[in-house]
Amino acid sequence: MSAMALRSLNLPGVGTKYEFETDKGDTVAIFFTRTGTIQMYTLQKGCKTPSAAEMTPVEARRLGNILTGAIIEAEQESVEIAFSALADLRVTIHTFYIPKGIAGKTIEDLQIRAKTGATVIAVCRHDRNIINPAPSFAFEEGDAALVIGESDQIKKFEREIMVE
Amino acid sequence: MEGFIIALFVCLVLALISKYLAVPAIPFYILAGIVLGKAGLGIVQSTEISQFFSEIGLLFLLFFMGLELKLDRMIAEPSKLLTAGLIGLVVDMGIGFTAAYLLGFPLIQAFIIGTAFYITSSAIVITALIENRKLMMKEAELIIWIEVFEDLVLIVIIALLSAGDKDLLFFFLKIALALGIMYAIAHYGKEFLVSILDRDDETPILFTFAAVLTTASMAIMFGIPDTMMVIALGAALATTDPEAFEQHARPFKDVFLVMFFVFFGVTIDFASGVDLYTIGILCILAVVSKLISGMLIGLTIFGSALSGLEIWANTISRGEFSIALAVLYGSPVVGTVIAALVIVTTLVGAFTSKYSTWMRRGIVSHSRRRALVHRPHTNR
Repeated sequence: MSAMALRSLNLPGVGTKYEFETDKGDTVAIFFTRTGTIQMYTLQKGCKTPSAAEMTPVEARRLGNILTGAIIEAEQESVEIAFSALADLRVTIHTFYIPKGIAGKTIEDLQIRAKTGATVIAVCRHDRNIINPAPSFAFEEGDAALVIGESDQIKKFEREIMVE
Repeated sequence: MEGFIIALFVCLVLALISKYLAVPAIPFYILAGIVLGKAGLGIVQSTEISQFFSEIGLLFLLFFMGLELKLDRMIAEPSKLLTAGLIGLVVDMGIGFTAAYLLGFPLIQAFIIGTAFYITSSAIVITALIENRKLMMKEAELIIWIEVFEDLVLIVIIALLSAGDKDLLFFFLKIALALGIMYAIAHYGKEFLVSILDRDDETPILFTFAAVLTTASMAIMFGIPDTMMVIALGAALATTDPEAFEQHARPFKDVFLVMFFVFFGVTIDFASGVDLYTIGILCILAVVSKLISGMLIGLTIFGSALSGLEIWANTISRGEFSIALAVLYGSPVVGTVIAALVIVTTLVGAFTSKYSTWMRRGIVSHSRRRALVHRPHTNR
């Protein structure tokens, strides 16, 4: 495991450097520079010259999402976030499109929290966003609901709520 | 005043061009100053206003230097850094000082040229490392720390030069007292300072500006060097929230430092009696001495001449600190020499730092080819 050791270092005038060596002996170094750009270097084992890519913060976040394994599907999106400092807490956020079957029912009627443990944190209706909908909020067909929870709770939501 | 506006406008155009070409802007600012000023067309004169602006530029440069001095996070391998720093100090300052002295400069002026010859431009060197994507190289980390080492040496030299022939004990007592007051304010007033810096209105930026200028004028009033005190102020405030101070001081530094470079060029006078021969020798030596010190550092620290070549290629540029020394302590002749030194080394340095990887590759493949050609004979 020692190969995974992550080194971080403050370089005066430059910024912060993070570096680690993979099990296979390749080296990855990331620099958050004072200029606001992020430079990523990779050095293959046995090579002398690294190759570099310079990214804006937005591009770096996109790369980060890909590396953490976020699934980006065309229709329904799901993002899993892992907090490694909090005992590897994993939270999944999933979008669901409301079918005809549950249109007109409220969050309370469906007993979402009691049945699945997941929470509806936002609903997108006709390009308008409703954040933290109240229990009395009634769904309409075609609403996009943003549901947050553990991946098991999300699966339960898909099985038990979406089929009603 | 019109001259001042012309200079400002020319700088803006030059800044755009230099960013487009990705080369350092400092030599262009100085050249613009020379062309517009005394030595050239004579359109722009140095006035009281321009002197005031230049002075602010210098003060903010030094304030920034103080802010970056976080000695507590000094490095994992101090012995390596000390070796590399000392090699640079002895070799570069030695060559610069000796050459200037032999070329007929008086002792103190030769010492100033030697120091300007030794101190590289942190701004140019570090920007080049980032832009040329060299941060991961092992040499890059050492170069960054060498820059910090040079800053420390510069502070000591400024203290020595400004002490001059004053009553030394009294002088250093006054400095110690001023340092004590500043650190006490930073320590006991930390919460108050941070609360000012956190505000969204004009107070943080006004406070930063006032703190630097007040410190400078108080220092002059009490007969201690304002340059030293502004560096110390930066170092003291770095114990509170250095990022916020950097953010609020940056606009002042950026604008006024450009004025400082241009008006340094404006005051250059070729009639001050310096011959091209002297300038030529010192400029060539400035590039060669960094090759010698770079090679020695590369061989001692990394055991590799190629590393030495890389260190050389990235540490040729002299800049803001050399000019500051010329403005603060140099005679007009020394000013001209240092102007030439900065222009030549920054242009050479911009080229070598960009193409050093090619140079290294060229040398490696050449020696490999030679080794292949020679092997049959040696095996026989």
